[in-house]
Amino acid sequence: MPAPEATHRFRLGERVRVKEANPSGNPRTPAYVRGNTGIVTALHGSIDNPLDHRGVYPPLCSVAFPVREVFGGASRDMLSVDLHEDWLAPAGTLEE
Amino acid sequence: MAAMAHSTQAAHGHMQDYEYHVQAIEADLEYWRTKRLEPRLIQLHRRGVLTFYDLIRAAGHGPAAPAAAGEATHDTERRIRALEDALDEYIRGIALASIDSPDQPSVIEDTRKERGDYDDFFRIAKPSHGGTLEERIARLEHDIREYQRLLDVLMRALLDKGVLTKADIERQRAFLAGRGAFNGARIVARAWVDPAFKQALLTRGREAVRELNIPPGRLGKLGVAENTATLHNVVVCTLCSCYPHDLLGDPPWWYRDDSYKERIVRDPRGTLADRFNLRLPDTVEVRVHDSTSDVRWMVLPRRPRGTDGWSEEELARLVTTDSLVGAAPALTPAALAQTECGVSR
Repeated sequence: MPAPEATHRFRLGERVRVKEANPSGNPRTPAYVRGNTGIVTALHGSIDNPLDHRGVYPPLCSVAFPVREVFGGASRDMLSVDLHEDWLAPAGTLEE
Repeated sequence: MAAMAHSTQAAHGHMQDYEYHVQAIEADLEYWRTKRLEPRLIQLHRRGVLTFYDLIRAAGHGPAAPAAAGEATHDTERRIRALEDALDEYIRGIALASIDSPDQPSVIEDTRKERGDYDDFFRIAKPSHGGTLEERIARLEHDIREYQRLLDVLMRALLDKGVLTKADIERQRAFLAGRGAFNGARIVARAWVDPAFKQALLTRGREAVRELNIPPGRLGKLGVAENTATLHNVVVCTLCSCYPHDLLGDPPWWYRDDSYKERIVRDPRGTLADRFNLRLPDTVEVRVHDSTSDVRWMVLPRRPRGTDGWSEEELARLVTTDSLVGAAPALTPAALAQTECGVSR
């Protein structure tokens, strides 16, 4: 099995922005992180998961977001959300 | 509701809060009916594997409705326990009815679409649960009986039509018996005593559990989030209720509850304190893992103090279902002694 990193567009520690919508139709990104920026904390590669869905989804990253940036407030806690790369863009780029 | 630090083991102790138990049964029963059994029926019907007419035929041949669940007694606690047992039976039956025939494979994605996870149009309505505790218990007794009857008819129709054979069902029954929260406890206990196993578990997930003779399952990748002195992990699936259930069995009932999903991401620390009575010091970071089906997360809790020299088997008894999702720490030796006191297992 190739190292999962080899298949990724993003690197550990990179800041990424979650797109607002995804034309490919893969629905598995929670609405609350859309439009937010986070840091890639794990690279999982493309996961073969035939019991769950047809075909192979794009490579999957764990992305960390501070709760306070997503929901406001003063929380110091973190959210780690697993996101497929077709939902992600480099931080600072404009929505296409 | 301060006593919500609830575990599989504690559920067999004295029942503290009837309201809490009844609410749990209502939520779980309707989840299994509207998300698992009835979408399955509709799916089979749409594909022509099994029609409603097959069901009617099977109902004509079937045995009489099963005996009433717990109505012979006026003891509220016993009635609630009988409902919990009937619910367990219903859930086990659905798992048996949910195996694919070798000729008619389906993927979970199809099932999710048809059961309305992505589109409200397909959602099956749930009843509201008003009334006094007595009325709610009576309604549950009635509903469980009806729901079980439909499940019995479905099983009979699947056999009558040759969609499944008795051998298929027995194989599935044996497979299901081999999994469960106890797998999670064994995995955690091994990780506590064996650093090399822990390392393999954290890096390779499912593959590591084979050495415990646990079937690793096939539902995506297993993510393991390790708690430390400065980090507490908690797991949720806000999109549906992803959990490594092929490996660990069912999550706690509230894991599927919308109020848990909504609150835990907005206020992780506050939700753990208010809902689960788990108060973490400011020096500990709380991290919520939201699953996306391809990685299904479990928490590796910290080994409790006062357990030096314990065997793996003894350590495994400290691991509760709640601790595997991060809603509670593993039991302390004192809490274990209290839980097991007077409980015959």
